[in-house]
Amino acid sequence: MMQSDVLISRAREGDPHAHGKLVQQWYKRIYNFGYKFFYDHDLAMEVTQKTFISMHRNIAYLQDATRFRSWLYTIAVNYCREEFRKKKGDRSVSLNDLRPGEREESYLWEASGARDENPEKVFRQSELSDLLQDCLMQLSEEQREVVIMKEYEGLKFREIAESLNISENTVKSRMYYGLESLKRILERRKITRETIGYEQ
Amino acid sequence: MNNKPDEATLVSYLYGELDSVEQLKVHEYLRNNPEEKKRLEEWSSTRSMLHHLQDKEVIAPPVIAGADTVEVPLWKQRYIRMSLGIAASMLFFLVAARLLDLSASYAQGEFKIGFGTIKKTEQAAPVITEQRVNDMIHSSVARNNEVLQASWSDERKSLDQSIQKNLNSNSVKIDRLLQAASAANQEQVRKFVGQLQNDNLKLMKDYMQLSAEGQKQYVETLLVDFSKYLQGQRNNDLQLFQTRISSIETNTDLFKQETEQILTSLITNSGTTNQRRN
Repeated sequence: MMQSDVLISRAREGDPHAHGKLVQQWYKRIYNFGYKFFYDHDLAMEVTQKTFISMHRNIAYLQDATRFRSWLYTIAVNYCREEFRKKKGDRSVSLNDLRPGEREESYLWEASGARDENPEKVFRQSELSDLLQDCLMQLSEEQREVVIMKEYEGLKFREIAESLNISENTVKSRMYYGLESLKRILERRKITRETIGYEQ
Repeated sequence: MNNKPDEATLVSYLYGELDSVEQLKVHEYLRNNPEEKKRLEEWSSTRSMLHHLQDKEVIAPPVIAGADTVEVPLWKQRYIRMSLGIAASMLFFLVAARLLDLSASYAQGEFKIGFGTIKKTEQAAPVITEQRVNDMIHSSVARNNEVLQASWSDERKSLDQSIQKNLNSNSVKIDRLLQAASAANQEQVRKFVGQLQNDNLKLMKDYMQLSAEGQKQYVETLLVDFSKYLQGQRNNDLQLFQTRISSIETNTDLFKQETEQILTSLITNSGTTNQRRN
């Protein structure tokens, strides 16, 4: 497999193959970032596509290849914010948000890949994911961005600060209050390690 | 531990993004503050629960390379843009120089930039030679010395006159004072010596008087003491004699008794012997 640095260098030089490889490598990560941010498949897809189109157009201007990851998330966050503003302005409700309903018909069912596993286990995992995603959605937009980047995308605080164009201390402060809020939300919903263990 | 770590430090500690020194400090702080430690443990627990939210599976669309390939136009490339920028700046500078009639010249170690025609500066005064400078310094120093000498001699003269005048006036005053002092002293000395002689005479008289009375008293006391001593000695001797005499008397009585006993026994013994013989 080609090294990331080499791929990025080649993509900057306009190598279409390298572009394709980068998309393959990062598509799932950007999609999941968008999905956790919106809890919405369509918006996540929208953000992911826009992010990679932007990456394709602008990677030639990326000066430091070592900052590719924070650069890519900067693009993704900017599109997330854009979509978020649009969504706030738009008062219509997505059909996918009408729950409970026909899960089998929904994108969630389509998205669940592990069909060969125990259906009950898959169902419980899906329920737990929904619960946790609900908790995540109760955070403010700023805290959610930071928590997702840190907990699910594994970025360093420095990279998050670069992506969001804020100071590292601000990132840590948002993380601090984000964790405090999540702790309270989980307690309120009586989600503990024991209950999760029982669910599983 | 007083220095409580701030929010940022605690969060960094939680995610292991502190350097070893800071990490040790926080570790120490948590050891002394179980409540904070509990809070961090709760955060860890929250994090572990969050990780049950799994990623959604998604398939990346194929990227078709070819006609749609976006190539950065030549004029948008960084180096070209930088070169164009420099060239544009230089062109602007040249046009501005032309319009403003900029001129630059270098002559005799001087670099000049100016707008319009550069006016020629007037010829500088001829250079003063080193010899000339030395002469000027010497003449200036000599003149200065003469002036100083003159002023110094004037000052010395006036100073001498002032000192002489002061000495004369002072010596007259001192003589007068000494004469007055010596006249006053002779009378005082005579009075003092006379007073001293009178005092001494009186003192000697008192001393002699006191001394004679004291000697008399002392001799009387001595005689009384001596007579008391003699009386005591005599009494002692008398007691001694009396004791001796009584002792001799006792001894004499004892001797008498013994002699009587011996005689009695002798007599008794001779009587007994005669009876036996008979």
